[in-house]
Amino acid sequence: MHEMGIANSVLEAVHKELHRHPKNRASKIGLRIGEFAGVDEASLRFCFEALVKGTPMEPLELEIEWCRAENGHSGDELDLAYVDLEESREVSA
Amino acid sequence: MNRVEIEKKVLSENEQIAARLRAALASAGTLALNFIGSPGAGKTALLEGLLQRLPIHTRAAVLTGDIQTENDAIRLQRYGYPVRQITTAGACHLDARMVEKHLGDWLDNGLELLLIENVGNLVCPTSYDLGEDAKVVVLSVAEGEDKPLKYPGIFRKAELMLLNKVDLLPHVPFKPELACENARKINPAIDIIETSYTAGIGFDRWLNWIAARAELKKALAKPMAEFAPVS
Repeated sequence: MHEMGIANSVLEAVHKELHRHPKNRASKIGLRIGEFAGVDEASLRFCFEALVKGTPMEPLELEIEWCRAENGHSGDELDLAYVDLEESREVSA
Repeated sequence: MNRVEIEKKVLSENEQIAARLRAALASAGTLALNFIGSPGAGKTALLEGLLQRLPIHTRAAVLTGDIQTENDAIRLQRYGYPVRQITTAGACHLDARMVEKHLGDWLDNGLELLLIENVGNLVCPTSYDLGEDAKVVVLSVAEGEDKPLKYPGIFRKAELMLLNKVDLLPHVPFKPELACENARKINPAIDIIETSYTAGIGFDRWLNWIAARAELKKALAKPMAEFAPVS
């Protein structure tokens, strides 16, 4: 139920990153989520798509790496791991 | 294509505010508890029972979160302690910013105990650190014994589970030992206290649990110089 807020925070972080690379657009982002983070993948993807649809961010791929609470992982992770950037195409009017 | 490693917490803004809150609570010596449970688990009633029994002169205050209405604040205000309602207008959890905003000047006035009643929800509030000392999960016997297995996140993070409405046990098929076993499967260190507002059960143990932590918090807030060897 709080997935909309999470999706929004992720996109804000992506915007910040794009600010640093003004000639680029984001093509893909990678999240790392722990099994106990309380995040539902289906609703996160739904919220993410809803926020991106019809905006200049589209298309934007979302990759989620789930991690279990073992080998030093707490299982509470909710991290933005990476953003893939590509040169933005000029939009013709 | 160019991959930029970000490696940043998605909720980093909340984490920052929570860290600031935690520091403010530490220097004020205020014990903060974050109560999380399903709607109807009995969080408000338990807090009412607690406020009725706090030792006199305890400096306590309550923040209570709901999506809509001031009803819980009105219920809790009857006991003479300051209470503020946080209405989240749709959000299913409290976040650190809401808590910071509603604290006002409470910490400047020697607050000893801050009780935060989260929005009724076992999932989302788990992800948002409010700077609290401990999360307390409320599970009522009108629910299922397998709640800890279905919602492991909160049972893993909580230091105390209040198994509530135990006065109803003769009337429901709930097996309390199974619920406790499930909770300990998820979190072997969790403390469990059986409670009932209606029958007045468990409040002494719960008050002791709180008092021990509140005293420690207060002691740690004293300037370190006090503990330094006399030269």
